[in-house]
Amino acid sequence: MGGPIGILANPASGKDIRRLVANASVFDNREKRSIVRRVVLGAIAAGAREFVYMPDSHGIAASALEELEAEAAVRELEIPRTGSALDTSRAAERMREAGVSVAITLGGDGTSRAFALGWPSAPLIAISTGTNNVFPKMIEGTVAGAAAGLVASGAIAIHEVARQAKMVHVTFEDGREDLALIDVALLDGPFVGARAIWDAGSLRALVLARAEPAAIGMSSIGGLLRPVGSDADEGLVVEVGGTGPSLLAPITPGQHSKVPIAGHHRLALGEPYELHGPGILAFDGEREHRLMAGQRAVLTVRRNGPLVIDVPRTLQLAACRGIFRTDGDAHGD
Amino acid sequence: MNVSTEALRDMHLRMVRIRTFEEEAGKLMESGRVPGSLHLYVGEEAVAAGVMAHLRDSDQITSTHRGHGHLVAKGGDFKQMYAELFGRSTGYCKGKGGSMHISDLDLGMLGANGIVGAGPPIAIGAAFSNQYRKTDNVTVCFFGDGASNEGTFHEAANMAAVFKLPVVFVCENNGFGEFTRQERHQAIQDVADRASGYGMPGVVVDGMDVMAVYEAAGEAIMRARRGGGPSLLECKTYRFYDHVGIRGLGVAYRDDSEVLEWRKRDPITMFERKLDEEGLLSAGEAAGIHETALAEVREAIAFAEASPFPDASALLEDVYTATD
Amino acid sequence: MTTVEAKPTRQLSYVAAVSEAFAQLMREDPDIFLAGEDVALGGSVFGVSRGLLKEFGPERVIDTPISESGIIGLGLGAAATGLRPIVDIMFMDFMGVCMDEIVNQVAKMKYMFGGKAKLPLTIHTMAGGGGSMAAQHSQSLEAWFCHVPGLKVVMPSGPYEAKGLMVAAVRDDNPVIVINNKVSLRMQADVPEELYEIELGRAHVVRPGTNFTIVAIGRMVPESLKAAEMLAADGLDVEVIDPRTLQPFDTATVVESVRKTHRALVAHEAVRFGGIGAEIAAQIQEEAFDYLDAPVGRVGAPFSPVPFSPPLEKEYIPDAGRVAAEVRRILGKQV
Repeated sequence: MGGPIGILANPASGKDIRRLVANASVFDNREKRSIVRRVVLGAIAAGAREFVYMPDSHGIAASALEELEAEAAVRELEIPRTGSALDTSRAAERMREAGVSVAITLGGDGTSRAFALGWPSAPLIAISTGTNNVFPKMIEGTVAGAAAGLVASGAIAIHEVARQAKMVHVTFEDGREDLALIDVALLDGPFVGARAIWDAGSLRALVLARAEPAAIGMSSIGGLLRPVGSDADEGLVVEVGGTGPSLLAPITPGQHSKVPIAGHHRLALGEPYELHGPGILAFDGEREHRLMAGQRAVLTVRRNGPLVIDVPRTLQLAACRGIFRTDGDAHGD
Repeated sequence: MNVSTEALRDMHLRMVRIRTFEEEAGKLMESGRVPGSLHLYVGEEAVAAGVMAHLRDSDQITSTHRGHGHLVAKGGDFKQMYAELFGRSTGYCKGKGGSMHISDLDLGMLGANGIVGAGPPIAIGAAFSNQYRKTDNVTVCFFGDGASNEGTFHEAANMAAVFKLPVVFVCENNGFGEFTRQERHQAIQDVADRASGYGMPGVVVDGMDVMAVYEAAGEAIMRARRGGGPSLLECKTYRFYDHVGIRGLGVAYRDDSEVLEWRKRDPITMFERKLDEEGLLSAGEAAGIHETALAEVREAIAFAEASPFPDASALLEDVYTATD
Repeated sequence: MTTVEAKPTRQLSYVAAVSEAFAQLMREDPDIFLAGEDVALGGSVFGVSRGLLKEFGPERVIDTPISESGIIGLGLGAAATGLRPIVDIMFMDFMGVCMDEIVNQVAKMKYMFGGKAKLPLTIHTMAGGGGSMAAQHSQSLEAWFCHVPGLKVVMPSGPYEAKGLMVAAVRDDNPVIVINNKVSLRMQADVPEELYEIELGRAHVVRPGTNFTIVAIGRMVPESLKAAEMLAADGLDVEVIDPRTLQPFDTATVVESVRKTHRALVAHEAVRFGGIGAEIAAQIQEEAFDYLDAPVGRVGAPFSPVPFSPPLEKEYIPDAGRVAAEVRRILGKQV
């Protein structure tokens, strides 16, 4: 038996400005609570018995873990609450310290990133409840929970079903570092404002760990130019602007925007790429860091991110090994 | 997001004017110079400023019991406002309304309101009017987390959505319905979640960041102007002072540490720091703006105190309109 | 402007008089719209807005959700921003749901704002029992609203009044509550075809008389006229006054009558205790005490909710017989 399953539900995901400007769907917190509950029930069915969770300001996980019928040990992690992404990063750190065998996050790319900031190489199943979701998957909670349970209980070894993800690393001149799981964008303007990127007009450059043609958001821009999948050992740089060719890409749900393309090229793992201010750097779709004029940031794509558990593959292995079969009066085969 | 320096300075000015107005009004109440109770907007300035920056005089707003900030941001006249707080005949309401009913219909400010949750039904009426007359005017309805539990909010939200009215519901979620913390008065944490129940978009923004409010409010208002219907914008903010008056610390219902934590995110200080860093407004210039606002407030207070009280003969005036 | 007492030309029902008023007003003024529960497609459950949707379209005749607070708010916000709304609260009993909007918002906005607001808002509703609709669909709650400064209240007694008072209410620049009566809807009377107004705040002497004054409200007007006929057989010459408007109340006309007749009673369908009759009786004794030969009587419903069962309801609602009996009691002529 491995360590506990760590659960983190981001209360703020799925409520940003893109509900207004595009047609992004709303994930209310009751729904997130239901998902967490299904995750836990699925994990218990697969043999997990121990859970830790982040105490979110909205009590999503706590209420989902109330009154579990099965024998399961549930523990709340002790972290000071700020109501910001910092809570998620701190919870990730605590989970690593608690020896969590599999972490399950509910949120979008932003949530996954905040988690990776706290525990970059976490064994992870990320369930999508955000808007621009490239990293987390739309997957039924029960099934994700079962996969987590199989790994946590030791029925399936993590190395059989997980692969380390790529990340975009950012180093600033003052030595500070940051990271993104999918994309870093440079945008015009001095303000982070409502954070989410929804206006293609302000884009200047993109560095992508993954360029997915079937994705939404920054990744789709690269994906529709030159796809770079999660397995490819490279990244992609897209320079935006100019009066030349442009691309129609779904920047946010329901909204294809025209993006002028000045150029694009692959970025080998470890190869540095510089972005120069003035502008705002956005990480996985959220405006966050101001680069003043004359300031620069160095970006690299590396494969040292979370250990992403392949849920379908995990269950396939479980099927091959008959893990869910029970003895007794089984009919047929 | 690119915003002109002029627009940025304008928002800063609106916030400073609200803060200065409120701080001085609070002192007047504490010292007993103005009668009655004042509900001060200090701490929540970014919401009014970020929203009102997008509105024209012909757009309407409905306000709350904490309404001074809304009127200041909508362009309210300090002299008439203070005269009203002092109960003088030169006040916005000729001394008959006071703080809780301060209004300026010429600016589309349809009144502060003493009844929690009274604004939303009035707002949909004004929005209906805009739609009926085929104008592109918009109505913004300010309300709090507490008001979101009143039936009126739900009736109005539903009617706004079903009639696709040009209204934006702006929830100033300051975490308390009077003294009762949000988690004790509603089982959800984001009032914006309620939007989907009525078939409209609901968005959460940082109500201490005027640029976050400005950007989201701009989209919501534009959407309403274009006939796209209502939306709900929830601004997470905080009341620096008590429900009434200027006491903010040492109260039973919240820890001082919480207040001090929020005060670190003072919307004006944060914005000034940012504008200074960007070279858009120096600290010196900002200080000058505060001084000018204070001078205007003092002049308005002097005007108000020098103004006459209403004559007893005014008691029965304006109960009814004489129909031509 | 057309005025009082235009020439009657044909018979019209109460309900048709109301809808004709709506239609003619809406033709006259594009700022008028009608909103309420089932007023458009359904033509209102009472039929008062039948045909209006067809003529004026869904922009001006609006079915609302069942949201009384929202409906009054819709009217108030629209009136404050320059329109002349008519909003319908299907049953008067439902006004409890939107009491804040009526009492704290509509009634007070003008005063609170130092006179700047103009609120040409008409709130139309239906009151009264007689249809076995029981306690929550049968009340007469006019006294609630007469108590609130800023509101005007009218209670038409028949088709002619229903049309003329509606026209005056809608044209008035104040919030006016028009309380029509459910069981009177099929009542027929002469109603002029043209648009005419019955002046608000002016009572009407329906039947002149010399021995006794009956101030009858709404549906009690026809009942009191019947009572007057019954009493005429006894040789009594009863004057019947229809105040038409309850707020503002035309005390002068009533007092003038009492100075002549020396005896009076007030008849209304509402519960007697705390009813508008109490106020009218008080006004009479304040203004005409020296002229009174007997205490002012009051006829109203007993102090109970409106019952459902037809015999109980019949017992509950005052009628001509009870009015006549009260007149006789006051005169010391009990039968």
